[in-house]
Amino acid sequence: MLDIRGLSKRFGYGKGEVTALHEVSFSIAEGEFFTLLGPSGCGKTTLLRLIAGFIGPSGGSLVLDGKDIAAMPPNQRPVNTVFQSYALFPHMTVGQNVAFALEAQGRPKSEIDPAVEKMLTLVQLLHLKNRKSSELSGGQQQRVALARALVAKPRILLLDEPLSALDMKLRKDMQIELKRLQRETGLTFIFVTHDQEEALTMSDRIAVMSGGRVQQIATPRELYDRPANRFVAGFIGESNFLSGKATGGVVEVAGGRIALPDATDGAVTLMIRPEHVVLSANAPDALQLEATIAQLVFFGTDTHVHLTLSDGEKLVARVQNALHGGLSLNEGDRITISLPDKALRVVKDEEIAA
Amino acid sequence: MSKRSFDVTRLPGTAVIAMTCFVILYIPMAILVGYSFNAGKVIGNWEGASVKWYGAALQNQAFLNAALNSLILATTASVISTLFATMAALATTRTEKFRGEGAIHIILNQPLMVPEIVLAIALVIIVGQIKQMTGYTGLGFLIAAHTTFCIPFAYLPIRARLEGMDLSLETAAADLYASRFYTFRRVTLPLLAPGILSGFMLAFVVSLDDLIISDFLKSPGQDTLPTYLMGELKRNLTSEIYAISSLLLLLSVLIVAGSWVATRKKD
Ligand SMILES: Nc1ncnc2c1ncn2[C@@H]1O[C@H](COP(=O)(O)OP(=O)(O)O)[C@@H](O)[C@H]1O
Ligand SMILES: [Mg+2]
Repeated sequence: MLDIRGLSKRFGYGKGEVTALHEVSFSIAEGEFFTLLGPSGCGKTTLLRLIAGFIGPSGGSLVLDGKDIAAMPPNQRPVNTVFQSYALFPHMTVGQNVAFALEAQGRPKSEIDPAVEKMLTLVQLLHLKNRKSSELSGGQQQRVALARALVAKPRILLLDEPLSALDMKLRKDMQIELKRLQRETGLTFIFVTHDQEEALTMSDRIAVMSGGRVQQIATPRELYDRPANRFVAGFIGESNFLSGKATGGVVEVAGGRIALPDATDGAVTLMIRPEHVVLSANAPDALQLEATIAQLVFFGTDTHVHLTLSDGEKLVARVQNALHGGLSLNEGDRITISLPDKALRVVKDEEIAA
Repeated sequence: MSKRSFDVTRLPGTAVIAMTCFVILYIPMAILVGYSFNAGKVIGNWEGASVKWYGAALQNQAFLNAALNSLILATTASVISTLFATMAALATTRTEKFRGEGAIHIILNQPLMVPEIVLAIALVIIVGQIKQMTGYTGLGFLIAAHTTFCIPFAYLPIRARLEGMDLSLETAAADLYASRFYTFRRVTLPLLAPGILSGFMLAFVVSLDDLIISDFLKSPGQDTLPTYLMGELKRNLTSEIYAISSLLLLLSVLIVAGSWVATRKKD
């Protein structure tokens, strides 16, 4: 329903020119919870502002339901935004804030009043309808901002790091609430965050961005299991990277050898998640390596085992803590570890760049 | 100990100095108001309490004419200058930076820098010629001059208010289907209102108080409150002047108080 084709954005002129977005292309389907994920400054807000129409693109097109909306002013686009700072109108009550979109559209009062009540009920704030918006807590303001953006039934709801100002506990609650709202309304959400955990738990699909480019678009599972490059692997979850040398589909790493058909000849980087590292020699089809335990870090549910390989490279393994007894490992132990070939990924070193 | 930052109000003697300043500032005004209730005619010679000089002032046609002129002048000049100032403030904060924006800023605030007497002398030459050519001697010249020097006083609080305003509010309004005009009416203007009001009040008081330019530009027989008081002060010093001055003081106090209440309520 939304097709973004070769969209780019430059700010400034001459020497001060900054390219915030480099020819980004992807499509978003009806009813999808789509997340833009990336570190600060990677162009997430810029992309969102382009979709909302607050800024115009330097190139490319933006097609919504078959119509190019790139030149349409924001007040005509059927797209609404939940701002990072909420941007509630401080001189209006909660009810007036929520009614604003419908009033601006010139809808009759008989239609506005029930719609506002319905939205406020949905976000559980009906009892605060006549409160000034400046007299609310952060979480309440957040929900007013949501109700205000949803009331006119936009085709797409844009959310720019909406939870970043909330504390941990509230944040978790709002994640669940947002997901519920999206399911109940069946709306398409484009959600911006720099928090990979938030992205993984909430999204149908995630676009990982870096330096104004999309590095990979995939479901959370795919992103985690098959990161397209080292940047994605490092940004999503925790990863170990090992450098090795491939010849004819066999990779040599830190004194061990394993057959990996994906590997092209030459220097390669292998990635493995800490929870996939096996702390024994007896796993089938695995790369076996000698390692020294440098440190054990207790994390409650699991323990992180910091290992040093024979060539000095470092590796972290994660083992779940069993109900009875501790780990039979000690710092300084020399052990053989196994890295199953199914868990090893050959990742491209370079991210997508100019 | 919690934080112990440097606080000037805690220095020894601060209270004494502050009180002294207040006394020096307000004692003369208190004396003025006090003597306006003097029954005697001669200034400074107390002969018992009376409101008769207020009565006399209210029957004094010259004073009433001057007061009326002052009110018309201050109202018109402050309304027009507030309108100009609002538009100028919107133009310098709400549009993308444009060439000459700095120059506009300087031009707008120029009347604050130029000595008033210089402006008065410059104006009196031009205005004199226009008066001769057209034969028009009404309040128009004073209104035009007052509007000019009131603009920066109206502009500064309005601009300050605009600059302190969250730009994302207007973006949010546009996002929520509001046209530019609807955004201005429902979001920008209500949030700007306290600034506009203080700008207007400030301009009003500045116009009401102006002596030099008014004195230079007024036509024969024309008076504003300050020029009338100045003339009276030179000719006959009676307690009536104290009564009139007290009335002027009361008006200023009312305006300042009104502005304070209005802006406080809005926030
Ligand atoms: N109005 C602007 N003028 C100049 N540069 C900008 C502007 N907005 C964003 N940028 C630049 O574009 C890049 C992307 O910014 P942004 O989209 O805000 O990143 P994110 O939201 O991912 O943190 C940054 O380098 C930022 O400095
Ligand atoms: Mg951002």
